Amino acid sequence: MSFFGAGASRHNPSAPGFSHAHDPFASLSNRNDDDADALEFEDTYDGLGDQLEETGDAFNDDTFGDAAGPSGAIGTDFDFFSSTAKVANVIEKEHPRFGRPHEPASNQQSTVPAAPRVVPQVSAPQPAPSYGYGSSASHKPVRTGYEKYKEEPVADLQIDASLWGVAPKKSPQPAPSATASAQPAKKVLSLEEVEAQLRAQAKQKQHQQSAAPSPVPLQAQAHAPAAVHYDQAYQFQQHVPPQVGPIPQAGPGHAVTILQRPLNQQGPPPQAQIPSAPHPLQHPPAHVQPTQILQNANRLSGDGARFNAPQHPAGPIPTQPAHRPQGSFSRQPPIITHPSQVAQLNDEEKAAYLEQEAKRAKRNHKIFLMSRDNGLMTPQDKNFVTRIQLQQLVAATGNPNEHGTDEALAEDFYYQVYTQIQGGQRQNSNQPLNNFAQTYLFQTGGRQGMRRHHRGGPENHLQRMEQQVQRAVEAAKNKPKNKQLVIEGSLGKISFSNAKTPKPLLNIKRPENAGDSNRPSSAHKQVPKTGDRKSELRCLERIYTTLMHMEDHDRAMPPPPGSDADTDAVQKFVAWNSEAQLLNNELWTALRVHDHPEPNHVHPFIALLSYSKGMKAMQRIARHLTPEQRTTILTLIVVNLDSLEVVRNAQVSEAAQLSMAMRENVELFSLAVMSTLFNILNELDLDLVAGMLSLICQRNVDAIAKSRVGASMLTMLLSRAEIIKHGGGGTEQAWRAWDLAHTRFFDFIEPTLPHMFPGPVTASDDVYVWQLLAALGIGASPDQQQRLVLAVKDRVMDTVALSKTLPQDLASQRLQNVNLFMRSIGLDVELLQ
Amino acid sequence: MLFFSFFKTLIDHEVTVELKNDIQIRGVLKSVDQYLNIKLDNIQVIEEIKYPHMSAVKNVFIRGSVVRYVHLPANAVDIPLLEDATRREAANQGAKAK
Repeated sequence: MSFFGAGASRHNPSAPGFSHAHDPFASLSNRNDDDADALEFEDTYDGLGDQLEETGDAFNDDTFGDAAGPSGAIGTDFDFFSSTAKVANVIEKEHPRFGRPHEPASNQQSTVPAAPRVVPQVSAPQPAPSYGYGSSASHKPVRTGYEKYKEEPVADLQIDASLWGVAPKKSPQPAPSATASAQPAKKVLSLEEVEAQLRAQAKQKQHQQSAAPSPVPLQAQAHAPAAVHYDQAYQFQQHVPPQVGPIPQAGPGHAVTILQRPLNQQGPPPQAQIPSAPHPLQHPPAHVQPTQILQNANRLSGDGARFNAPQHPAGPIPTQPAHRPQGSFSRQPPIITHPSQVAQLNDEEKAAYLEQEAKRAKRNHKIFLMSRDNGLMTPQDKNFVTRIQLQQLVAATGNPNEHGTDEALAEDFYYQVYTQIQGGQRQNSNQPLNNFAQTYLFQTGGRQGMRRHHRGGPENHLQRMEQQVQRAVEAAKNKPKNKQLVIEGSLGKISFSNAKTPKPLLNIKRPENAGDSNRPSSAHKQVPKTGDRKSELRCLERIYTTLMHMEDHDRAMPPPPGSDADTDAVQKFVAWNSEAQLLNNELWTALRVHDHPEPNHVHPFIALLSYSKGMKAMQRIARHLTPEQRTTILTLIVVNLDSLEVVRNAQVSEAAQLSMAMRENVELFSLAVMSTLFNILNELDLDLVAGMLSLICQRNVDAIAKSRVGASMLTMLLSRAEIIKHGGGGTEQAWRAWDLAHTRFFDFIEPTLPHMFPGPVTASDDVYVWQLLAALGIGASPDQQQRLVLAVKDRVMDTVALSKTLPQDLASQRLQNVNLFMRSIGLDVELLQ
Repeated sequence: MLFFSFFKTLIDHEVTVELKNDIQIRGVLKSVDQYLNIKLDNIQVIEEIKYPHMSAVKNVFIRGSVVRYVHLPANAVDIPLLEDATRREAANQGAKAK
């Protein structure tokens, strides 16, 4: 498709203007071109324009205003200019003055002062473009985004016009100016006048359409401001098609000026240039392109952007270089290539046809507007931004791969463990934490199967991005974290906050040596003193820290080696075991079981049990101890039963209730420690139980029995022996030892029996006493039973009497408690009623 | 990160957030971030009479810095675990401060 003898291959199809979408007038302007060429073009036109979609017009009105209306369609958007036009006019008038000196050099046609700007364009079409830029650059106002609206069509117009060489139809207004005589009149047209004309045109559009189906009114409808240029440029191009290429780059006001000038001066003469038209035509775009990029007037006109705009009607261009000016085609064909056809149509058809054309024009323009920001970001840009975002996400939520690892556990311990504990409720404990990161990173991974089939661009980007994110995360992890900045002379460091540690803004630097002894953590290492609350609490913290280490260590337990042959696994297991042993030793030392109490002080381990922290730790401690160690602890507690705080300071009496705090302590001890001890005790044999009972006999049995914890402990021991007896366990010797201890114990406890009850008979929480009595009664000889009954007879009778005054349920509760004891000695409360 | 970690476990529980301007807002905790910004759903202002402008608001995003207290649902807090988490946090901080 070489109209001009220039091979299409030599032409840069992406150069601006060649593929611009809208240029309904292009064909009109080139009336001076050879008609044969035009006909040829018509033949080659492939009718792509007819394939345009007519759907998607829904927002046309939004884009163009209600332009379809016959009047007022234009709005006053383009009036933007009216205020600046004055300035523009002044500038315009000044141009001749400044330009005059060049006149002689340029000569040829220029008899009119305005020449200078035009002169080089006409005489030397090729340099013209740059000339145009230069001037436009100096006058170009700050871009508002509105200019583009005007400039674009001009560019199309000029270039395309000369390309098609189709004889244009005259529009009513421009027609007169086509003659040389009319031009002076044209020259004095100011922008306001042009606009006024335009408004008038728009109002008379219907008439014009029927009378002279000029595209101008149509264009006016869609591109009101642009039409100004159309009118002018149209005339211009009729005479000097080639030169105008660069002009679109000019500022809006200026473009008009430039366009107008030549008209006055040139007239027909420049036609001498026409034979050379092809060259300027091919060159200006080459010049235009860089300028446009520099000016960033419209990235769309850059070729990259253009190719990236698939919805653009010019889309086919890259693939069909032969039809490079397709963008113009898409709108032009019906008007331009079939001018005669239009003329043949009747009025109605013409109106319909033009209306359709207008629609198309609007649509194309809308698409153009929408797509002009296309390609503003290259794929690399997008990639970059996405990477930054992902890095932020990863920084905020942590690397998804690292969840459940030690690092995550250290930073997010509570959440991680809590969700594990509550695991039943949440299907995926990690889900809420890092779902975005996962969504981003893994969702794309899920597409891998697809990606294998389509090695498409976007998929590739995702893949690369994924890798980049991973690398970024790796790098961030490996990079030594420089979180602090120490400014000379300042007292502290300034910390950089990041996502994980939002606001440690000041961090006082510790003196290396001096502060050490003040630090609670370092105090752990000092030889613990006994008897003082602070050191005991520290000791407890040390226990807890060790416990946590042990628990961490447990989590890292390697699977036991399948066979001895697997030396690696065996080695791991051995290493783990020795580490566990070390930790166990540490814990055992921290418990201070083997420490000797200072005189007049309770045993250090027993002292730990007076703190709620210490009581709570018991269960966890027991889990990490060997059975021997557990037994040792139990023995130690039993031996020191009367020095336990919850025994010593929780003696029941008829008069006073225990303090609230002590009751809470007792409660906690029962919950946290007794259950542990009970479990330990349940593993013991009779000889040990007997040994413990005899140990108790060496202590203050009275004090023990008068406390709730002590009484429960006694119950436990006695009932354990009873259970062993039922199970048929225990050796002869052990039983003899037990009987001995029991008899002795009974003698010790007998005087205390009536005083074990908490408070008067009205106090209801005496069930543990009845339990102890029952445990005593079961294992008692008939003689001992007798003594038991005698000892607590009063309490039994009182309780039975009281229960008669109580409501039904409370009464039966109390009676049941008493019955625990009564039944153990073969009696029943029923007998007493 | 302890508080962030902790508040994450309270998501979907009802909490009462007391702001530094004395407004107390009760609602379901929907999300929390490392700045302890809080998103509440189905909110209800405690003294609605006093803050009528809040009566139409159904969910809020509260900037962490304006929160004075968050009243917790006691049964949603695992105290021993929280104690341990606190110990770990202290250990971490101690390690970092060195």
